[in-house]
Amino acid sequence: MQNRPSGFGNPWLQLGLSVVCVLVSEFLLKRGATDIAEPDSAFSWTGINGLESPLVWWAILLIIASFISWLYVLRYVPLTVAYPLSRIVDVLVPLGCWVFLGELISALRWCGIALVIIGLALVAKPIAQIEERL
Amino acid sequence: MSILAFFFIVVSLLSFVVAQLILKRAMEFSATNGLRNSRFVSLAATGIALMTVSFFLTLGLLQRFDLSYLYPFQGLSVIFITLMAAVALKEKLNLRLTVGALLITTGIVLVSLS
Repeated sequence: MQNRPSGFGNPWLQLGLSVVCVLVSEFLLKRGATDIAEPDSAFSWTGINGLESPLVWWAILLIIASFISWLYVLRYVPLTVAYPLSRIVDVLVPLGCWVFLGELISALRWCGIALVIIGLALVAKPIAQIEERL
Repeated sequence: MSILAFFFIVVSLLSFVVAQLILKRAMEFSATNGLRNSRFVSLAATGIALMTVSFFLTLGLLQRFDLSYLYPFQGLSVIFITLMAAVALKEKLNLRLTVGALLITTGIVLVSLS
């Protein structure tokens, strides 16, 4: 984590951007895949027929954007730290369904969300301390 | 769940985990050697190819199963990638990071099960 650029080149900002792009793409992919679902066709196991959906193409654009940010993050941050942090998206997806789609979140699901957040805090805390010292 | 579905889930997960490790190695290599050399290009291309395989297999699976059903398997990638990065890339792994990764994985599985 030495010689980190600041501003837009800050790897933590890029990690955040990558997460937002993945978050939006997850919703687009599920919508797109549902729209064109052909479960009876063996070819559809490959997923390539998903390209018929414009939503899937938008999702692919976002995934490429998140991928470029992610490669940049990998240049500066160890995988053991960056990858667990990137999974904050697994909390944001159900929370997004709750806030924007009005879906209900069960008690068990809230417990799962809490566990992920505690795990993220464990991974992130040493970084916060390193940043303070710099 | 059919054996075929399980097979595609495992292949999709494995190719994703291996792709992340290869891409990390590619970016580390580029930090010292720049982007214009054949080793970086071949590493990055392999990583991207594996990510693409994983992406299309997931798209195929999404046509058959709910996202909430497929998510726990993606959640497992956290613990796999953390352990593999320590073993294959010799990254430092302490108790805190391991417990953190385990909690995140358990949390993702709980979110998807409920």
